Amino acid sequence: MSEPLIQVRDVEFRYPGHSPVLHGVDLTIDRGEFVALLGQNGAGKTTLAKHFNGLLTPTKGQVLVGGKPTSALSLTELARQVGYCYQNPDHQIFAPTVDKEVRFGPDNLGLPDAAELADRALALVGLTAQREANPFVLGRGQRQLLAVASIIAMDPPVLVVDEPTTGMDLAGAERIMRLLASWVADGRTIIVITHDMDVVAEFIPRSVVMAHGEVLADGPTEHVLRRSDLLPEARLLAPPAITVSDELSRFGVGRCGTIRDVADDLVHILGGRDAGRV
Amino acid sequence: MPVGYSVYRPTGSTIHTGIDPRVKMAWLGTMFTLALMFNGPAVLGALLVALLVTARAAKLTFGDLRPYLFLSLWLTTLSVAIWPTYVHGGHLLGHVGFVTVTSDGLLFGLAMGFRISIMIVSASLWMMITAPQLIAAGLLAMGLPHKAGVALASAIRFIPFMNAERTTIMEAQRARGADLGSGGPIRRVSNSVPALIPLFSRAFVTAQNLSIAMDARGLGASPHRTSALELRFGRRDRILVLAALAAVVIAVLCRIAGFGVLLGSYL
Repeated sequence: MSEPLIQVRDVEFRYPGHSPVLHGVDLTIDRGEFVALLGQNGAGKTTLAKHFNGLLTPTKGQVLVGGKPTSALSLTELARQVGYCYQNPDHQIFAPTVDKEVRFGPDNLGLPDAAELADRALALVGLTAQREANPFVLGRGQRQLLAVASIIAMDPPVLVVDEPTTGMDLAGAERIMRLLASWVADGRTIIVITHDMDVVAEFIPRSVVMAHGEVLADGPTEHVLRRSDLLPEARLLAPPAITVSDELSRFGVGRCGTIRDVADDLVHILGGRDAGRV
Repeated sequence: MPVGYSVYRPTGSTIHTGIDPRVKMAWLGTMFTLALMFNGPAVLGALLVALLVTARAAKLTFGDLRPYLFLSLWLTTLSVAIWPTYVHGGHLLGHVGFVTVTSDGLLFGLAMGFRISIMIVSASLWMMITAPQLIAAGLLAMGLPHKAGVALASAIRFIPFMNAERTTIMEAQRARGADLGSGGPIRRVSNSVPALIPLFSRAFVTAQNLSIAMDARGLGASPHRTSALELRFGRRDRILVLAALAAVVIAVLCRIAGFGVLLGSYL
């Protein structure tokens, strides 16, 4: 049975002296879900996500984390529950070594097994060999992995990751998404803010589309990314895998949305690998 | 927090479009001089009101000025709280703890608060009514080397950007459980290291990238630089510069005569 972990109830938010950025947003995210927040710049994705860890509190409505309103919890208490990894790793890296950078969060939270958590997080992202290196000499992809590791080390049940694949090559993007998927498989909840529709189609089973501070669509990714009536309003384009998959449906094969699904469909249409070689 | 990428507020008022940037700069210098010439709260208060009237005439809103006014109010409050511990002339008003509060102490604190407020409001007003490219054009027309003009205009242009970066960095570190704001002054400085290092790093990287972009676009390639912006120094500008000069002369005479001066022994 699903267990609601984050509940957003009729939330409105406005910065002082500005128009509302969020209007009547309702959203529930269950424990163990892997969710994508999609939408154009200014749609309200990051503003909504900052409500999950208390960096922002609603002007109207309520956000509950683990059944408790965020307005009643301190930032430190919320940091234990919801880790937030920023888009640009250079907004948080400051320590002289990779190891110290990763330990910063667990030490702040007073976690007794901080060293062990940091070791585990570094191993998970493949940076154990660089633990004594200066973080500023790492490449962009490794700094992004370090930023993710520094949040994972805090061992939060929920992780919000803002644009994890920005500026990364394909191999790096796939690596980081596989890492996040493995963390979900471990029972964690992950919310990814992204514009990378290929990544969403390939890895993230649930998508929430936002536009103008409202939730336009919410559901299984393979359904949401086929909402040709809504995607243009959110200035989103369905990824090529979905488009090709839809075309293939005319041949009576399945309508899934990942590159692997499309490849399987093609093999099926062509009558198996041997037929394809002819 | 949404942060604009320029302090400039193009309202289209005559103050924005009808006055040469060199004149606006001259008036900025004049306001700083006037603020330093007087130390009586009445005159300094009147100057502050004049600045607010100018802002209104430039069609700026309270929202545009709010952060600077709040900063001014905070510093004025601090000044009123601190100066009575140093200035003890005038009438005895009472004792607060070990501090003897006198009328001169309070009024001088108020005047010093107004003085710093005039500087804050006039500098922010200057940036809000002068487009960054006109600031650079004005400086160039006054003989500043072109590269230095671009550097100064870029520095002004990047103030709000760096403020936005500061906000993001502080949020990122607070999300990691960092305590950036509590404790005494020494502890605060030590706690702010996780925010300061990324901020300085971002500033250096931004400056480096900007300089590369400028080089790539040929900045400084030719000593004879042309400009799409032509400044025209008209009749209105001449009158305003003369008025600024007159204001400075009158202020110096007032200082000598002791008008608008609460305590002659203080600046």
